[in-house]
Amino acid sequence: MASIPDDIFFASITEINQKLKAKEFSAVELTHAFCDRLERFGPGYNALALSLRQPALRAAKDVDGDIKRERFRGPVQGIPFGAKDLLAYEKHPTTWGAKPYAGQVFDYTATTLKKLGKNGGILTGKLAMVELAGGPSYRYASASLTGPGLNPWDRTRWSGGSSSGSAIAVAAGLVTFALGSETSGSILTPASFCGITGLRPTYGLVSRYGAMALSWTLDKIGPLCHSAEDCGLVLHEIAGADAEDPTSAGKSFYYAPAFARTLKEIKVGFAPVDFDEWAEPAARADFAKALDTIRSLGVQVTEAKLPDFPYGPVIGTIVSAEGATIFESLIKSGKVNELADQRQIAGLKAGLEIPAKDYLKAMRIRSLIQQAFRDLLADIDVLIAPSRLTPAPKITQPLDRPASDRPTPKERGLTALIPAGNLAGLPALSLPCGFADGMPMSIQLVGRPFSENTLLSIGKAFQERTDWHKRRPVVGGG
Amino acid sequence: MDGMSIKLTRRETVLGLSASAVLLAQTPNPPLPSNPDEELKAVRDQIQQNLQQLDKVQMPMSTEPAAHFKA
Repeated sequence: MASIPDDIFFASITEINQKLKAKEFSAVELTHAFCDRLERFGPGYNALALSLRQPALRAAKDVDGDIKRERFRGPVQGIPFGAKDLLAYEKHPTTWGAKPYAGQVFDYTATTLKKLGKNGGILTGKLAMVELAGGPSYRYASASLTGPGLNPWDRTRWSGGSSSGSAIAVAAGLVTFALGSETSGSILTPASFCGITGLRPTYGLVSRYGAMALSWTLDKIGPLCHSAEDCGLVLHEIAGADAEDPTSAGKSFYYAPAFARTLKEIKVGFAPVDFDEWAEPAARADFAKALDTIRSLGVQVTEAKLPDFPYGPVIGTIVSAEGATIFESLIKSGKVNELADQRQIAGLKAGLEIPAKDYLKAMRIRSLIQQAFRDLLADIDVLIAPSRLTPAPKITQPLDRPASDRPTPKERGLTALIPAGNLAGLPALSLPCGFADGMPMSIQLVGRPFSENTLLSIGKAFQERTDWHKRRPVVGGG
Repeated sequence: MDGMSIKLTRRETVLGLSASAVLLAQTPNPPLPSNPDEELKAVRDQIQQNLQQLDKVQMPMSTEPAAHFKA
């Protein structure tokens, strides 16, 4: 049996796929090696919900047969990947990260997993997550059936959530890519905290069929990867119309960087206050360099300001009302009290009390937000801001408390871009851009609906000029 | 968003925006709740604060909810 070099655990999808085709190792050998690594290191980071070694090896054997017959199915053929444990996988437990659902088994598979499997992707494990994808809110990183997601860069710090295991597994080289989900920040935050690349697709571009619902009008499924290029390749596989998902936009996505707009045609907007005053002081030098790198790509750069709306209260009201409605039976049965986080329990109970008029008011304001973003993005192609203003917090730190006691700047800048972008259904790409206090920091790019190729072309060019996305934590130590 | 059916003039939008509040003022943190009842009360208070912020946004009567959501 061929031994798998360590570099392969952090290699790109294209690199691994080429080596499989060149028969440097087989898909079965590769799958064995990744499963060993996922099972060995995953539990130490509280990242593994369920190993799928046996079905993965069966799928890998099929891939080897296909490669032997030169039946090439695309870039993800033979690539080991993981999925957030909110995606149904037929006849295997899907816990949604929550004790009340620990024994839950579906008799169907999520569309995204079916699509990847059809083209030879090897699902090696279900990955840990914050319970119920965070629900309306949670106070502690420990809000999960598997415990707090431990950051591979420093186990005393949080991985971010709610796609915690997905980000950890990619950052630690336990899978080549992973699927996560975002309602408001659950891909961008763990991608930023763990120093990997994460893509939140436009609402409706990727089927939600077989995914736990937290908010019907906000949930998105997207990839967490080692690079923007890999995000493009995975999105290419999972995007597209799905009759099983009533919110599907009915659009396809073809990753085509060669046909993307030239960078000099693209106008990028940013708010200096984000980088100069809001950002963690220790991160400002790397953020400044990241902005310089963006400028060096030849894009046009201008200042931008978010439309003035109470984004937090709007998204909070919507997620609370929809989430509590979705989990009404859990709440009324009393099983909600089995959840790990008291804030989560209280948030779900209180969400049931939100009057319809207030939910609708939030949704009416959301219409204004969408309109305002259409106006803003008529002139600017892409908004850029720090993905998170501070590095990953300690796992014991209450998450609803400010990470620092620095005075609040007078201007808001683009600091509400995560809730705002989610309310408007916009795509976003998080790119590692440096470190603060030894922890990764990232920038986010946000564009018009269905402008993923534009974001990815900027991301790819950025990563051709930087190596932050290639930095690796020491895995298994500590 | 192309499928949205709301009709807003730019002026109406601006009026709505200028009336909405921005929470920039720093307020001291209340102590963390120590039991489920206190936690529930804290969440209810937070929801009420959120709803008060929504009340400050003025919008034309013609504004429809983003129910037919299409990005």
